[in-house]
Amino acid sequence: MDCREFCDQHLAFVDDTLAGIELVRMQRHIAECESCAKHDAKIRRSLLLFRNLPSIEPSPDFSARLEVRLRHCKEEQLAMTHQNLRRGALAAMLASAIMLGYIGTTLFNQGAAPRDMILPPVIASVPESDFTAITTSAPAIVTSVSAGLTFWPAALFAEQVPVRFAHSKLELTNYTR
Amino acid sequence: MADIVRKQAVSVEVSTVGERLQAMDDSAVVTAFLGGEERAFSELVTRYQTRLLNFVYRTIGDREKAEDLVQEVFIRVYRHLHRFDRSKKFSTWVYTIASNLAKNELRNRSRNPLVLFQTVQKNSQDEDRPLQFEDTTSRPDDMYRKRHLREIVEESVAKLPEHHRNVFILRELEGKSYEEIAEITDCNLGTVKSRLNRARNSFAEIIAPYVD
Repeated sequence: MDCREFCDQHLAFVDDTLAGIELVRMQRHIAECESCAKHDAKIRRSLLLFRNLPSIEPSPDFSARLEVRLRHCKEEQLAMTHQNLRRGALAAMLASAIMLGYIGTTLFNQGAAPRDMILPPVIASVPESDFTAITTSAPAIVTSVSAGLTFWPAALFAEQVPVRFAHSKLELTNYTR
Repeated sequence: MADIVRKQAVSVEVSTVGERLQAMDDSAVVTAFLGGEERAFSELVTRYQTRLLNFVYRTIGDREKAEDLVQEVFIRVYRHLHRFDRSKKFSTWVYTIASNLAKNELRNRSRNPLVLFQTVQKNSQDEDRPLQFEDTTSRPDDMYRKRHLREIVEESVAKLPEHHRNVFILRELEGKSYEEIAEITDCNLGTVKSRLNRARNSFAEIIAPYVD
């Protein structure tokens, strides 16, 4: 065992919680190493001093003072319990009053003669549509427009495309003749 | 005559309840208190007042304040005992409350630098209470030496950092296990061992020049 290991295990050595073999190794190290033996003695002596410090006793009026404080504490707790009970009772009374009122009005309404309900006349009008239907011969083009374009420009473009192709076709025929 | 007999019967009953409570362990006393036996609380106070007072006093160094804090511990115990987890040790719970109160006191004091640990300790001991360390049969020079030594020991403990001092007192004065200290101080076991080791070494270093 080296001094470092001795220091690491010194806490358990002083507290007497080391296993048998370790304890023997520590004792052997103390017998061999003067520095560690000094360290061990220094720690043990200081602990002995601290453990032998005289115990202090509570002052004579400690119990009386505590008794007074406890009595206050009990009174506070009791007052709080009463307050809570009072609040609970008040809330219950309020809830009962509301409930009774509700039941009373319901019963009163039921007792009254039933009347036919007159509803206001309903006026309905069909809104005029501003939009014209898209007439395209090739709806497949509209659906194949990429997702990056907004729908209406793409639809209009699709509507005009076959017309342009038709015009160019006519002009071509004129030139050849 | 009937009155005397009745009084005697009451006193016998009180003494038997007291004896029964004394024979119980903490857990049973707590159960008795929660079951409506008010005298059980006095039993808990009797068991813990001196131990807690010593613990708090060694931690904060002010006797009067220590008494106030111990009273506060008992008030808190009284208020919250119904919330105490009875699967755990009562003593650990009480020490945790005391430790937290002592820590708060030290924190408050550190915000007010006018109050020093050593000053408070010296004043409160020298003026307010008789010394218990001395034996009246001792010679004056022996008494002086002992008193001086006690002051040195207390001052040396006061010089330890707060978290080291707390662990040191719980272990060396109160004899708590590492596990209990870990629970009281809300640290893991490794931290407790490390702090205790450092505290022991520091304390030995501080006090060495006076005792060698």
